[in-house]
Amino acid sequence: METDSTIVVELPPVQENTPTFLESLVVELPPVQENTPTFLESLKIILMRFHFLSFLSIALVLTFWHFISVYKIFGGTFLPTPWAIVQEIWRLMHQELIGKNILEHTWASLHRVFIGWAIGCAIAIPLGIFMALNDFARAIVKPVFDIFKPMPPISWISLAILWFGLGEESKVFIIVIGSFVPCLINSFNSLRLVDPALYDAARMLGANRRQEIMEVAFFGILPATFAGLQISLSLAWSCVLAAELVGGRSGIGFLIILGMNQYKPAIIVAGMVVIALTAWLITFGMEHIEKLVCPWRRDIKV
Amino acid sequence: MSHTIKCTCRSVCKTFVQKETHFVPVLKDITLDVRENEFLVLLGPGQSGKSTLLRIIAGLELPSSGEVTLNGKPIQGPGPDRSMVFQTYSLFPWRTVRGNIEMGPRFKGVPKEERRRIGKKYIELVGLNGFEAAFPHQLSGGMKQRVGLARAYANSPEVLLLDEPFGQLDAQTRYLMEQEVLRIWETDKRTVIFVTNNVDEAIYLGERIVTLEGKLPGKIQTIIENPLARPREHNTKSFLELRKKIISLTRLTL
Amino acid sequence: MKKKLLTRKRLLQLISALSIVAFFAVWQIIVDFEIVPNELLATPLQVWKLLIVKLYNPNPDGALLTTHIWVSVQEALLGYLLSLAIGIPLGLLMGWYYVIEEMARPLFEVIRPIPGVAWIPLTIFWFGIGISGKIFIIWLSGVVPCVINSFVGVRMTNPTLIQMARTYGGSNWDIFRKICIPSALPMVFGALQIALACCWTSLVAAELVAADNGLGFLITMGRRFVRPDMIELGMVMVGLTGFIVGLIIDRIEKKLLAGIRR
Repeated sequence: METDSTIVVELPPVQENTPTFLESLVVELPPVQENTPTFLESLKIILMRFHFLSFLSIALVLTFWHFISVYKIFGGTFLPTPWAIVQEIWRLMHQELIGKNILEHTWASLHRVFIGWAIGCAIAIPLGIFMALNDFARAIVKPVFDIFKPMPPISWISLAILWFGLGEESKVFIIVIGSFVPCLINSFNSLRLVDPALYDAARMLGANRRQEIMEVAFFGILPATFAGLQISLSLAWSCVLAAELVGGRSGIGFLIILGMNQYKPAIIVAGMVVIALTAWLITFGMEHIEKLVCPWRRDIKV
Repeated sequence: MSHTIKCTCRSVCKTFVQKETHFVPVLKDITLDVRENEFLVLLGPGQSGKSTLLRIIAGLELPSSGEVTLNGKPIQGPGPDRSMVFQTYSLFPWRTVRGNIEMGPRFKGVPKEERRRIGKKYIELVGLNGFEAAFPHQLSGGMKQRVGLARAYANSPEVLLLDEPFGQLDAQTRYLMEQEVLRIWETDKRTVIFVTNNVDEAIYLGERIVTLEGKLPGKIQTIIENPLARPREHNTKSFLELRKKIISLTRLTL
Repeated sequence: MKKKLLTRKRLLQLISALSIVAFFAVWQIIVDFEIVPNELLATPLQVWKLLIVKLYNPNPDGALLTTHIWVSVQEALLGYLLSLAIGIPLGLLMGWYYVIEEMARPLFEVIRPIPGVAWIPLTIFWFGIGISGKIFIIWLSGVVPCVINSFVGVRMTNPTLIQMARTYGGSNWDIFRKICIPSALPMVFGALQIALACCWTSLVAAELVAADNGLGFLITMGRRFVRPDMIELGMVMVGLTGFIVGLIIDRIEKKLLAGIRR
């Protein structure tokens, strides 16, 4: 066995550089200080951190709004002042309009949303997964689905009212259709998006077929399927409003149409504020549920 | 010196079929004996079929002809007795580090207490103490591969298969991980088959180096016994001579 | 390997075709055999007949089919193009210029959760049933996805490219124009289809609530006259028109992006 000899590389000796006459004339400058921010710059940083511009913008919009409504720029009781809207919301929480106050109307709408959304997703998710697994199921369902896909759910409303009358069923029907479409698309695609190498990894670790599916397929499809649920819920909220606008006797959509018919813009805008708040709450809630269900996800948030 | 043979390949051939008519022969007449507890390196450039050979031994692919056996019994499919470490990590993104490592025992039905113990042992072995609850996306490449290694080890496999596991890492991390693999292997000795395209890595790690030709179908070119004593240094004369020999044989440039 | 006449792929295509035929057949049969009464559901043949008739006969709703389609498409396209014209530049600027983002964001975040349809009563209150109100609603529905996608598109620009441009001495405006905008294009084009779907839905909703022409009006009239064939014709036309417009936008998009690799 030969011995290892380390190869040493010989470098030429380092030369000392003697300074020239000119170089020796150079005076040593004091060390450069770190730039302490000027007053203006630190002010800018503080303003940015506290989102000064955003607040300014909100203040400007509210002022502008107040201005147009008080001075009746567009004539008539065009737009109530922001404060009047707040008062109106308060009033509607305690006064009943067609049998319900504003919170009860909102609950009536939400109630329909949850029922329709649950039904739509309960059908769409298994069907989507089945279509992804089984080529024949896909060949049968997809063409018919593609025909119906470009039709907005709200266009079904007249047919729904013809069939079910003006009651709950017609609205829930629209919501079911509205929830069904994005949920099916997403759960159908979700299986495709699972990294196939993960199946290999599972088999290497000794998983049998059932374990492979339960581990990789089940968790793998969760993100996309949940995204489908989120999209359908937002869409369902939209659908219920539209359905109530066209033919309703209760619900927050009905409330704003009532405001329109009674020439009371305060009711309309108050209703719209509640609609916006509810939509925001739904989105917020779903995002938090997503963090619980899929804690490994990290998306770009807008 | 007699060796117990762990795994054999006899005249293994593999042909892939694309688009129903296009035949791609990837491996031809591979005959190989893998000794127990040895560190065997499969060296070859890209597109030489080495990953396919590893996958056949793993059981993820079946050979078109020929036979592969483990402990005398033919290999028919994947299983926990041959664990693989993937180039792209293939960690389960929805499981924590601990969850990933415990996957093998979990599939086997090992009870929770025992699983935890095994998991803890291998987390410590690969040096990831403190990261048990982290998710893969929070880890660096080197750390992810440690998890992959621990996950493979936790199954107590008979053969450990590594498919270019450090290909995605930068040069520094790669060298660190090579040392880590050796340290782990020496602590817990198993039969290892390591696939790489890097000559330095092959010489540093392998006891025997099997080189494959650089064109399809892949054939075994040479089997070289690595005489260097451990720990090996990249800049010793014998290392460089071995390197020169291999390069002239395989016409690899790295 | 022998080439089979009935490969799996062809079999699946055949099944798809048969599925569509079966769908129409079942639809026709359940009405013909009175499983479902004709007052509730019109057969495909009846819808087809009505389609032909309405091409030259304005009864009973007062306008030809082509008029309805043209009115709807016109309103939708105007609102859609307007939302592109305002939404995309706004989103791009918001993505790059901090000042613009901070100022526009509060208003945007308030408008964003309000579904387009919720604006209908207020808009009718302000503008009446005419065309300007509808365009306002359509514009509002379309502007939101345009802004979001353009914003994200600019934000997703590769920071290395920006740094590179700065080392070449590019000004803020130059970098925005030459790097951020082209890099954001794929997202922007993604917004085109989404915004179109939103706009089209809002249009139909607006016409359902209050209109005197358009496809939504046709659908509502169908209910008034208890003519399910009118309703279904309206629905089919809504779907078909939306689909065709989407296809046209897709073709335009492909032509414009022909050089740029996604």
